[in-house]
Amino acid sequence: MKGFTSRKAPYFFIAPAIILLLVFSLLPIFVALFISFTNMDLAGLADYSNLSFIGFKNYINVLSDPVFLKAIFNTLFYVIIGVPLVIVTSLGVALLINLGTSKIFKVFRVVYYLPSVTNVVAVAVVWTYLYNPAFGLFNYILESMNLSAIPWLTDPTVAKLSLILMALWRAVGLNMIIFIAALQGIPKSYYEAAQLDGANTWQQVTKITIPMLKFAIFFVSITTMIGWLQFFEEPFIMTKGGPLDGTMSAALFIYKNGFQLSNFGYAAAGSFILFIAVIAVTLVQYRVQAKESDY
Amino acid sequence: MRKKTAATVLASTLLVMGILSGCGSKSAETTDNSGNKVTTISVWGMGEEAKSLPKMAELFEAENPNIKVEVQALPWDSAHDKLLTAVASKKGPDVVQMGTTWIPEFANAKALMDLTPYLDKYPGLKQDNFYPGSVQTGTFEGAYVGVPWYIDTRVLYYRTDLLKEVGYDQAPKTWAEMQDAAKKLADRGQGKYGFALDVKEQSLSFMLARQNGSELFDAAGKPLFNQPAFVDTVKYMNSFVENGSAPVDLGIDAIQGFRGDGVAPMFISGPWMVQLIKDQAPDIDGKWATAVLPAGKDNNFSSLGGSNMSVFQYTKNAEASLKFVEFMAKPETQLKWMELTKSLPSSKEAWNNPVLQEDANYKVFGEQLKTAIPMPSTKQFEEIAQNFLSSFEKVYRTKGADVQKEMDDFNKKAESIINK
Repeated sequence: MKGFTSRKAPYFFIAPAIILLLVFSLLPIFVALFISFTNMDLAGLADYSNLSFIGFKNYINVLSDPVFLKAIFNTLFYVIIGVPLVIVTSLGVALLINLGTSKIFKVFRVVYYLPSVTNVVAVAVVWTYLYNPAFGLFNYILESMNLSAIPWLTDPTVAKLSLILMALWRAVGLNMIIFIAALQGIPKSYYEAAQLDGANTWQQVTKITIPMLKFAIFFVSITTMIGWLQFFEEPFIMTKGGPLDGTMSAALFIYKNGFQLSNFGYAAAGSFILFIAVIAVTLVQYRVQAKESDY
Repeated sequence: MRKKTAATVLASTLLVMGILSGCGSKSAETTDNSGNKVTTISVWGMGEEAKSLPKMAELFEAENPNIKVEVQALPWDSAHDKLLTAVASKKGPDVVQMGTTWIPEFANAKALMDLTPYLDKYPGLKQDNFYPGSVQTGTFEGAYVGVPWYIDTRVLYYRTDLLKEVGYDQAPKTWAEMQDAAKKLADRGQGKYGFALDVKEQSLSFMLARQNGSELFDAAGKPLFNQPAFVDTVKYMNSFVENGSAPVDLGIDAIQGFRGDGVAPMFISGPWMVQLIKDQAPDIDGKWATAVLPAGKDNNFSSLGGSNMSVFQYTKNAEASLKFVEFMAKPETQLKWMELTKSLPSSKEAWNNPVLQEDANYKVFGEQLKTAIPMPSTKQFEEIAQNFLSSFEKVYRTKGADVQKEMDDFNKKAESIINK
């Protein structure tokens, strides 16, 4: 009797997590897959008899929609420029803060982390003001230095970079904490051995620290990449995807079609394409990681 | 031991279910202290004005002690999402404020109750109490699903002092005068403009196209957006951007541009701006006015919008809800509402009130309302309008854009949206 319960006990412990995962993650994925093959709109939502299966039509239409293709391009732009920037910046900040011994560095750990805990909507609204072409602080500074104003959010390409800049500022804190935690897990003896052999700081960083951080870098790059593939809040609040759909991300495209125009089937097809892309990218990264030997 | 585990699981399941069911609809019948049955209805209001709705609800409750009104104020941005959820779960409000442009979509989904069978019992809801254009916005495929509540229409706001300086003692009366005045105002100097053309405003272009003689759709419902009347309208709108009389990406809102030196001393907007200007730009008191829109080739008809009150199809308290809607449609209530929120009453009788007859701004709105027509009430119109905004963005952001070609593309897109 006792053996039986103790064998069952683990299942009870993981049951809440499993049930939540099933109900709020896996089930919705299957529902979305189902919806993506229908012409679901508001009428279909209210009364299922209005629903009809249209096969792959949503997928064909969404893949030939110029706005969707532009959204894919923009999303790749965000990922390719944003992800390396986030990793390099947060790793750099983590290394520098970790090297420092004075109290002030502890303060800066908090300073860098603050943007991550601030509400993204509030941040985006404030940054919209900073970027404002007429009253914005950034253009004010540029003009007071006799430089010409930059069209922060009003040129399709510059706007993408402006959003990346803001998202970078927000992302550094959290990833920095992960890197610092990993840094402090590296045994001191490695450094001591290296110092005995006469290695300088740069050599220690490149030969010991970076290789030892491999798993942390892998983790950060995967989570960051998934996050950037689903880039949404920043363009949603600051530019609504404009100008000329220049900042439209795949996630924002899905939101617009689904929740503003009520084309749920169409949006579900778009979201499935994004979903497959995220899975594919993650699998590729796992493969690359698995090939390299561990310490 | 095993029993205990089972009991824990059961208890936690019940707890979770209790929490989940707590999220459900709260409108139900309860009994008050003295033993009378009290019906609770929930009302969803939207935007800034919904915050004044509880005051109206109090007046209603005083008249109907056995009905309790719970008001929920939703911001316009998220109201659409919340309504989608309500339709999907078939649970939500009893009475809901409906922006006129949303009616076709939600009526098509059969989420709004057809009020025709109730008109004899609730005569206050009858269509002839209201402006015909406003009734049209609440009617979808023959069903009367939204009772006109407050209406708005677009008029021209202008700075009297600045227009006088460039030789206009009165507001521009025609499209040509409008163009001329805007150009002269823009010529005042660097960083000055004439007319704050709102390039993100969905209904503006369709309203102007009608002034220029476009029907928008032919009798069979085919779009006419690549026809000369519409294309010329787009060219006209673009001309303000091209010759520098309308700002693009200025980053300041209409009132900031209107006050002080008057960066953009003319704009087209609705009645809510009157109060906003009074509050936010007291420095220009007496230096601005409203006027009916300048006339295009055919007319100067404005667009008619606003909000209606609808009864949610899945309500369990239809009678109490109808009572509330009837109360909100009464001329006295609408005048009270106008006092609170400055929104224009939809009831014809309310317009006989001296306040509306004497105030200069309200007189302009009344004049413009006589001919105002709502936007087409098809469920695809919202999507078409969104697509127009992207096409127009391409026009005004590209130097020397081929307007005819853009509009050909837009027309094709509109056709495919309609045939979907």
